[in-house]
Amino acid sequence: MSNEKTFYHEYEIFSKRTPSSAFQHQFSLLAPNEEMALIMAQENFMRREPVADIWIVNRKHIKRMNAEEKLTLGRLENKEYRTTKGYGYLKKKWRQYEQEMLDEKEILSWGGERK
Amino acid sequence: MNDSVMSPEYTDAVKNLLFQLADDDFMYSFRGSEWLGLAPHIEADIAYSSISQDTMGHAAMYYTLLENLGAGNADDLAHSRPASDRRNSILTERVNGSGYYLETPHYDWAYAVTRSYFYTQAKKVKIDSLCESSYKPLAEVAVKVRMELYYHRLHWETWFKQLMSSTDVAKKKMNEAIALVVADFGDVFSYGTQKEAIESNGLIGSEEALQEKWKMNIEPLLTSLQVQMPKIPDQPVKNGRNGEHTNDLEEGLTTLSEVYKFESAAVW
Amino acid sequence: MASFNTISEDNQLTNFMQRIEAGEKIEADDWMPEDYRQTLIKLISMHGMSEIMGALPEKEWVPKAPSLYRKLGIMAKVQDEMGHGQLLLRVTEDLLKPYNKNRADLMQDLFNGDLKFHNVFHMETKTWADAGIIGWLVDGAAIITQTDMLKASYGPYARALQRICAEEVFHAQHGESIIMALAEGTDQQKAMIQEALNRWWEPLLMFFGPASKETTGSSKQDLTIKYKIRTKTNEEFRQIFFDKYIPRIISLGLTIPDPTLRYDKDSNLWTYQQPDWNEFKKIIKNQGQRSEARLNLRRHSYEYNSWVRDALSANIS
Repeated sequence: MSNEKTFYHEYEIFSKRTPSSAFQHQFSLLAPNEEMALIMAQENFMRREPVADIWIVNRKHIKRMNAEEKLTLGRLENKEYRTTKGYGYLKKKWRQYEQEMLDEKEILSWGGERK
Repeated sequence: MNDSVMSPEYTDAVKNLLFQLADDDFMYSFRGSEWLGLAPHIEADIAYSSISQDTMGHAAMYYTLLENLGAGNADDLAHSRPASDRRNSILTERVNGSGYYLETPHYDWAYAVTRSYFYTQAKKVKIDSLCESSYKPLAEVAVKVRMELYYHRLHWETWFKQLMSSTDVAKKKMNEAIALVVADFGDVFSYGTQKEAIESNGLIGSEEALQEKWKMNIEPLLTSLQVQMPKIPDQPVKNGRNGEHTNDLEEGLTTLSEVYKFESAAVW
Repeated sequence: MASFNTISEDNQLTNFMQRIEAGEKIEADDWMPEDYRQTLIKLISMHGMSEIMGALPEKEWVPKAPSLYRKLGIMAKVQDEMGHGQLLLRVTEDLLKPYNKNRADLMQDLFNGDLKFHNVFHMETKTWADAGIIGWLVDGAAIITQTDMLKASYGPYARALQRICAEEVFHAQHGESIIMALAEGTDQQKAMIQEALNRWWEPLLMFFGPASKETTGSSKQDLTIKYKIRTKTNEEFRQIFFDKYIPRIISLGLTIPDPTLRYDKDSNLWTYQQPDWNEFKKIIKNQGQRSEARLNLRRHSYEYNSWVRDALSANIS
């Protein structure tokens, strides 16, 4: 009984659904060490979904934000210059030159074969 | 070989081997299912249950192969056969500890870990060999089973290693468990009276070769943990492959078939 | 940090209530009033232990399940219950940080009788039909209370419930499948479900708790509604359960063991025979049919293998 404080280490579990997807936080579990956490992770949180990879992170290694630090996350919504929203007028402009605008949808479709 | 061109002798050998494989996984999984909810740690309980489920899934695949060979319905094979017809090893039928699961049983985690680690390593050796089996449907099942064994082995090896390198209390319990498990290991690699038929038909590797392989596979870990290599009994006191069993099996079968046998006409 | 420490308790409470009203999620590290924390701990630890203890009555039927498929299904179901317990205890454990308590303390609270578990899990199971009724109706009842809290103001609880409710859909269907086979089965099988329903009807009514604290002298429902942890009262839950399940129970040819049960069109409410709330009080004080036996099993299995936890703790420097 006396030792149980040290048996219960908190690990945060992250996993990837497919080799190409990003890691996603799942939940946390208690384990005495990383190896034990690893053999319990998939069956505790991903019993019914595909898993391509797992990360085990001891919670003590996570830098968290306190309430005051979270205040630093706020910002004004006046940053159109950073986004395509600030350049929407180009669509009309290009039309004057009889050209289609190269918008996000068009540009992100360029990864494949040359059309 | 395919079902259509099989001689009666070959078919019998296949069936005999399938009963051994099916009954092993079925009883191992049944004992695991009795542990459900009672493991020493909640997270570990959940992981263990997945292994029991996987293993019963493997048993179901073997029983289905038997069903396809006309041996009877898979559920009947699992639930209705008397102990004397069962071909599982003694190791898989042993109780988890003293006491009935519905009361307050003394289930021993050291025994669960050790039985599981040694059994899973033995299963791995057999499955690797079965992937080359002359009976194609069995080889195909073996390839599937092999996929889930990676996790089972990692799981039990981790537990075995960690408990074996921890406190004196744990080491003592683990060593006691090893003695119990090894004493029952005499029929794990045995094919019983079917040895000749099973081996000569190329269904699976020989008893001796598989046992040797198993020893080679566990030796590095055991040596690193300063555990003596187990001396498997040459002649098992009882050979489960020949239908010789302990009372543990009898009691287990009574439990696992209680509802199934409640009414013969019923569908559940 | 200094600037925050200077904020008065009153201001913090005002901020907190504004966040609750705005539908914001409260997280484990956020400031929260003591009664919010206490209410959550009580609610979620009881929910979690009910899963852990609730695994036991169904587990009684795991080794006995009557086919390979049923054996697999009920193993997976009981495994999920343990899994739900794991999620909920983790949420509770994080709430207990300020008191320096952990899972070992929660287990001791359970063993001491300080931490209660749901009335239904104190009941005896007698036949395979009980496993079906638990999956179908007890889980059905649980789905009603749990889905109500999917938007709970406490983020970690809401996230755990998202996972839990997704699995409950499988549980309900697992139960329905067992019941359906029995309902379409032999006379003995049909009799088996009717007997099980008769046994479980009153516990099912009790499951939602008393309509008001006048009934049993204690009810946490007011605080949980004020803090937007849940939205409906015990009685509203019970009425939803009637709406959903009474027609289905009857459609299978079963008789509900309450001759007074009827639907009142004017009030849109079901009238029913009240369960024995004195019995309920006894049950949740661990004086139910199987309370002691199951607690004893849980305590014994926890202590008998405590050497495992000790052994692996020793490796941690």
